[in-house]
Amino acid sequence: MIALSVAAALAVFLLYTSAFGRGTPTISPGQLPGTHGRVSVVGTVVGKPTGDGHQQALRFVMRDRDGTKTVPVVYRGSVPDLFKTGREVVIDGTLVDGTLRAVPGSLVTKCPSKYAPAKSA
Amino acid sequence: MADLGRAALIVTLGLTVYAAVAGAWAARAHRRRLAASAGNALFAALGSTLVASAVLLSALLRHDFSFTYVADHTSTELPTSYSISAFWGGQEGSLLLWLLILCGYSAAAVFLNRRRAPDLVVWTVPVLGAVSTFFAFMLVAVSSPFATQTAPAQGAGLNPSLQNPYMLAHPPLLYLGYVGLTVPFAFGMGALLAGRTDERWIVATRRWTLVAWTALGIGQLIGAHWAYVEVGWGGYYAWDPVENAALMPWLAATAFLHSVMIQEKRGMLKVWNVLLVILAFCLSLFGTFLTRSGVINSIHSFTESSLGPWFLGFICVVVATSLALVFWRLPLLRSKTRLESLVSREAAFLYNNLLLVALCLTILWGVVFPMVSDLAVGTSRTIGRPYYDFFLRTFGLPLLLLMGIGPLIAWRRASLRSLGKTFLWPAAISVGLGLVLVAFGAGSSKPGLVAYTFSAFVLATIVLEFVRGTRATGSFTRLVSRNRRRYGGYIVHAAIVLLAIGIAGSSAYGSSAERKLLPGQTMRVGGYTLAYRSLTQHRDPNHLAIRAAVDMYRGRTLVARVEPGKNDYFAEQQVSNEMAIHTDWLRAEDVDVIADQIEPGGAIYFKALVKPLVNLLWLAGLVFLCGSLITLWPDPREERRLAARYYALAHG
Amino acid sequence: MTGSLILAALVAVAAVLLVAVPFLREPAPREDTIHEPLAADKRRLELAEERDRALAALKELEFDHRTGKLTDADYRELVGTYRRRAAAALQALGSAT
Repeated sequence: MIALSVAAALAVFLLYTSAFGRGTPTISPGQLPGTHGRVSVVGTVVGKPTGDGHQQALRFVMRDRDGTKTVPVVYRGSVPDLFKTGREVVIDGTLVDGTLRAVPGSLVTKCPSKYAPAKSA
Repeated sequence: MADLGRAALIVTLGLTVYAAVAGAWAARAHRRRLAASAGNALFAALGSTLVASAVLLSALLRHDFSFTYVADHTSTELPTSYSISAFWGGQEGSLLLWLLILCGYSAAAVFLNRRRAPDLVVWTVPVLGAVSTFFAFMLVAVSSPFATQTAPAQGAGLNPSLQNPYMLAHPPLLYLGYVGLTVPFAFGMGALLAGRTDERWIVATRRWTLVAWTALGIGQLIGAHWAYVEVGWGGYYAWDPVENAALMPWLAATAFLHSVMIQEKRGMLKVWNVLLVILAFCLSLFGTFLTRSGVINSIHSFTESSLGPWFLGFICVVVATSLALVFWRLPLLRSKTRLESLVSREAAFLYNNLLLVALCLTILWGVVFPMVSDLAVGTSRTIGRPYYDFFLRTFGLPLLLLMGIGPLIAWRRASLRSLGKTFLWPAAISVGLGLVLVAFGAGSSKPGLVAYTFSAFVLATIVLEFVRGTRATGSFTRLVSRNRRRYGGYIVHAAIVLLAIGIAGSSAYGSSAERKLLPGQTMRVGGYTLAYRSLTQHRDPNHLAIRAAVDMYRGRTLVARVEPGKNDYFAEQQVSNEMAIHTDWLRAEDVDVIADQIEPGGAIYFKALVKPLVNLLWLAGLVFLCGSLITLWPDPREERRLAARYYALAHG
Repeated sequence: MTGSLILAALVAVAAVLLVAVPFLREPAPREDTIHEPLAADKRRLELAEERDRALAALKELEFDHRTGKLTDADYRELVGTYRRRAAAALQALGSAT
């Protein structure tokens, strides 16, 4: 009986994954070149962001968490309060001509380290 | 002072190692005094950990910045209660809290059971000692809260998002839950080591499991409330790995609470129960590993600390040894009882267990998938919300229905005519309600409609149970006091139903709107009109409060004045979102207004959400607590019966 | 600084004392072994649990019948089996004691 239900659960699961795909790849800016379609990019905000996301598109540069590769980002939508230079962010988008065109509203800032002291910006 | 703290922790480490080693030796060689001594070591460990905790707490209250930990997590401007909460606000301190609670639970468990079940306790002590040794070791050698430095003039302050009353309740409650699962695990392992096949270990730990499970549940609800009220995205659960980290052990513990009832009634599922308690405990360890190690991408994710590999190693050791233990004792545990019918209460409990474990494992898969895909194909892929929502519905809705069916079926076997009789009214009520709801437009969301209908079914069942029971026993209080576990359990089920209704309502039937407004302009959302009046600022001790005055109308009537805005914290140089929530009790919905972006000229980008029935979630928490307390309440008659059963063995 | 050291020493001493108490209380006991429950005891416990289970099942059957979850027909069908099971369990325990 247990075997039957395990089989049923597995069937449901496989059905789902085949229908809904295999999740969004989460990559760093350095891995972006050459990707197609929507990806989720994790990195640190560097330089001076411009724009506010609503009237003007927010433009900023993302860098690998522990590397040097960067990518410019264009974003429209809500900008979380915690967003600023030096923060780690996650954003969904597609690479177009070397710039990441972000999915509106997909910008997420990580809660600044709870278990490490807050660094002075 | 830091030296005292460090020394106290070293003493704790020594004691836990002694408890583990001497305890194991004493159990193996049947040495009575040595066993008592090992048990005492756990009491002493509580003492020395209390000393260490007192040192840290006093340093926090005195703002002694020579303690690196204190400087990193507090400032002189920080209100006292948050200085206290900074104890568990950081990596090292939270580990110390974990150890403190673990020592407390261990000491209490040993104290309460050493006379009643000496042959069981003698093996439980080394297990508790071993687990405590790990945490004590981490605190002494890897992540000490007592590092010192030359005291700076000012501390870094506590992260503003943690400066709220929730920080005082949420982590300690969660820890009381996580750590609490260690006790049934230790007793279960102790029973295996002692070669016991009876349910003594379950009887001994029943209340512990309930307490831990309740604490974990309430802790999560508080976390959800925190997310809802403070974080300001209008939601309360994001399927974030760290949130899931608490949900998974809770689901496993829920399954365990039900399956031990089967062992109690029918003597079946002994192996399953042991495996479940191992799963629950390992998931609680895994949960804290996820939260600390930074291995998984999470919005709560903290630094990639060096703790990760240690925790992972410990979890592997625990899994390996406990599974080996189960395998070794497998022949003893096999029971001869078979499931008599697929339509019986045991079967219903079994289905419930399978669904809970299935849900738990799918969440686990979703959480580790990024790590797995990274290892397998080189890119870590994250699984999004739709995955979790799908499985919550697939497994959760049948679970909801089962909550109603289970109590109506008798043990062993239920005939169709009995079923027909008992199902009639609840089914009729729920179908009727379903039709009414469709008429009111609830058909817009099919899962929502199903959830509502099933919920009605379950609530009808529960009410019927209470009514029938009261009629049979003559008085309501007598009914409940004679059957505390059953009727307390029904109340807990009612709480879960309320939770389901609240979740369905707020996710399936809400509305939202976003607009940029200048003072004087209005926007509409879900039947309300919001008018932005003005922008003000005022200064609090450690932050600047910026607030927008917004009037909320329903038609032409002014319903409320809300003040969404932001807080700008000086020392931490951070801005937090202060969402305004207006609760309309009559319409049973919340209207959330978020001042998303405030421009220098006074223009504000607003986001407004209407969330129907969301407050049922919090009400569910209260009902849950109430039901749980009833279930926990000691029953003198049952205590006497159990004591008589085990007396001979204890004094034989 | 020395204050902390003294306190630390006190903590350590207290810990050692607490751990040593069982040995200090009984420096030369008559016997120092923990009695493993005999196989007979374990068997008796299992039978006691079986008895409690059978009695509880009977009680619950009555309760289910009284609250209307079990029809009279079903109750009549099952009560005989349950009573026999309870009687058997009581007997088994009685003969083992």
